[in-house]
Amino acid sequence: MCKFLLSALFAFLLFAGLNGNCAAKLKLGGISFPHAVIIANDPAPYGDFETLIVPIKRAGNLIIVEAQIDTLEGNFVMDTGAPYLVLNATYFRDAPRIDEKLSAGINGEANGGSFTTMVHNFSILDLHYSRITADVTDLSAIENGRGIKILGLLGTRLFAKFAVTIDLANNLLYIHKLDDKGNIPPKELVFKEPYLKMPFKYINDIIFLKGAVNDKTMWFVFDSAAETNLLDYAKAKKILKSMQIINRSTLTGIGGSSFEVLYARFDKLTLGDKQFLRNRVLITNLEKMGKAYDYSVDGILGYDFFSRGAFTINFVKSDFEMYIYNNN
Amino acid sequence: MRLYGRHIILILLLLSNMIAAAQNRNNLTATKKGLVLHIDLNSPRPDIDTILRRAAIIGVNIQRLKENDFSALEKDGWVLIKRKGNIVEFNRSIKDLKANPQNSPFIITNDIIKGDERHGYMDNALYGVNKFSSISVYELSSGLTRFTLPGYLKSRRVFLSGGFNDWSTLKGAMTKTATGWVIDIKLQPGAWMYKFIADSHWLDDPNNLINLDDGGGNTNSVYYKSNYTFKLRGYAGAQKVNLTGSFNNWRNNEISFTKNGDVWECPLYLREGMHTYQFIVDGNFITDPANPDKYKDIDGRLCSVLNVGETVYFKLSGHANARDVYVAGSFNKWEAGKIKMKKTADGWAVPIILPAGNYNYKFIVDGDWILDPANPVHDVENKELNSFIAVKPNHTFKLKGYNNAKTVILSGTFNNWNENGYRMGQTADGWTISLHLNPGKTLYKFIVDGNWIIDPANKLWEQNQYNTGNSVLWIEP
Repeated sequence: MCKFLLSALFAFLLFAGLNGNCAAKLKLGGISFPHAVIIANDPAPYGDFETLIVPIKRAGNLIIVEAQIDTLEGNFVMDTGAPYLVLNATYFRDAPRIDEKLSAGINGEANGGSFTTMVHNFSILDLHYSRITADVTDLSAIENGRGIKILGLLGTRLFAKFAVTIDLANNLLYIHKLDDKGNIPPKELVFKEPYLKMPFKYINDIIFLKGAVNDKTMWFVFDSAAETNLLDYAKAKKILKSMQIINRSTLTGIGGSSFEVLYARFDKLTLGDKQFLRNRVLITNLEKMGKAYDYSVDGILGYDFFSRGAFTINFVKSDFEMYIYNNN
Repeated sequence: MRLYGRHIILILLLLSNMIAAAQNRNNLTATKKGLVLHIDLNSPRPDIDTILRRAAIIGVNIQRLKENDFSALEKDGWVLIKRKGNIVEFNRSIKDLKANPQNSPFIITNDIIKGDERHGYMDNALYGVNKFSSISVYELSSGLTRFTLPGYLKSRRVFLSGGFNDWSTLKGAMTKTATGWVIDIKLQPGAWMYKFIADSHWLDDPNNLINLDDGGGNTNSVYYKSNYTFKLRGYAGAQKVNLTGSFNNWRNNEISFTKNGDVWECPLYLREGMHTYQFIVDGNFITDPANPDKYKDIDGRLCSVLNVGETVYFKLSGHANARDVYVAGSFNKWEAGKIKMKKTADGWAVPIILPAGNYNYKFIVDGDWILDPANPVHDVENKELNSFIAVKPNHTFKLKGYNNAKTVILSGTFNNWNENGYRMGQTADGWTISLHLNPGKTLYKFIVDGNWIIDPANKLWEQNQYNTGNSVLWIEP
């Protein structure tokens, strides 16, 4: 009996510890957090390193990191637009089901076949997760579009206790352990003196940055798996006059349905106290993505933005930093 | 005269300004209300075509447009606002942007950002000769290829990554030696791109002088695994022997032989297919004395001919009384009277060297085109049933059972989901066909007497737009 009480207390403490942001999320978004309890029970990852350096690969504008599930090695997309680890149903269809479809995050195609599973022995080089909750969903569109085998998406929860730096120029991912104050120890810093340093809101395991497009305030999702910047149709409408239209396109979505986008250029993207010039963006309806995030989305900052420099996301302090390569 | 010249320059400047102004009159802009399209009907057709493409207006007959027929634009939701001279202005609401929202950025960007189609896996070169400052990659007598990286002795781990292991950052772990790092791998002939990863940092082979752009702003080293060695016996007193041919655009001073005993040798990688070549011995052009296959090219040059590929023996039993038997197929553009078969003890036969691939063929017996009676596998090309052969097949599809089926067809991304071919051959316990497939992902299904089914023996499948699934197969490089 005593043992049971201790276990319950431990589970409660673990839940409280791992979900330090949970209260903030509920307050900010008024959101439900369906995976909270399940994920709270995932043991913390471990690894004998201060900073783990991982080589990355590129497929189109996607950032690919190799990881291992038990003995299976393969490609994963670094995806800050996904809240959790997401696995491709083609290879994990027979994984044990602990829950039917909850949420796959926006880069997983949320269809009837999605479910939640528990993965054992997941590793990114020396970073090990003994047990981790993952969604299983259909990622065939990414695989077919980019011609490489994709086992899954690395969502933000995997790095919740770390800071990560992505240096695209050198194709490197740095996973930093943090000191007691939540900072990267100074001797472990890869880049010094960021061009941009700003806080983000971590809502529903998604990074929201406050910024402006041609002086119109917007909330952007920072999505490392978005191959372009995206702007919601409704928000864009108000500033369309200040944008240059590159072209209009009719594209094909899942199941052959067609949808429209406008590819546009705009002069001024403001984030924190910094301005980024000559920006490109796709204007489309982001309503459905907002639903997946459980929070409305004005825009998504993707490759067009983050390829301008190396960037660091400190998930513990909710800080975003960018070390610029090119601001043109 | 000088004044006249100045006038011409002035007129040309004015003209160019007018052209520029005319180009600027074709415009796609936006206001709060929506898109605004200006078309200058007097501008050149390519300019009108460009602005229509920018506005995603398809199927417009520009002549009709110039004749004031705007129905194609109106059909696409554009409203004629005004016309001033040659300039027509259309508006279009952007409310369509709202329709059918997608739930993944990837679905939106997939067709806009071009993914590199397995770029960087294999160089598409016709030929290749290695160049090292110090040889770091070489062939072992075991048939394996050794890659070495000298130094980096303080590194904790070093990997070899390249097209041959799908650019894995985990699979090619190298072994530390007293002087550096080494790995032996099984490699097919080809032009292979690679890099080393020392403590997670990507680096080109410092000893390999051949680097190619990787399409993403970096470079990859290239190793050519040879599949052919040119040999020239004799010429003991020659100072220099070079190789020139169709594969290197007949450049004379690029590929040199080395003397090995009394034989001059030149190993290199040659892409499969037909090549013509000559040797250059101390400046004199000669054909290959060891190769009887010669050909006079359109420049009147007598060259040796080399076919690189697999020798396929086409055989037809019987037909003992036939006068002429030929074989023709997709490999020779179906030319009927070119490849003559020779009479054998029990029929007719001919060897043909073919590059790896999938081919349709037929025999022509005294003018009659017939299927190969010994080959149960068929393909349909231009509605015509042909015999089918895969040269260097790298996958065999098998469907067990279905013994009473009349036809079992294999259809997939490799044949654009053709419903008519390939027709699998029936065996004692099912149906089978071997294909040569490109490395990468293949989607496929079987069609059993008209019914599409996924491969029951393959647990990998993905959903399709009909919710019936497609089987998934990955072909290793």
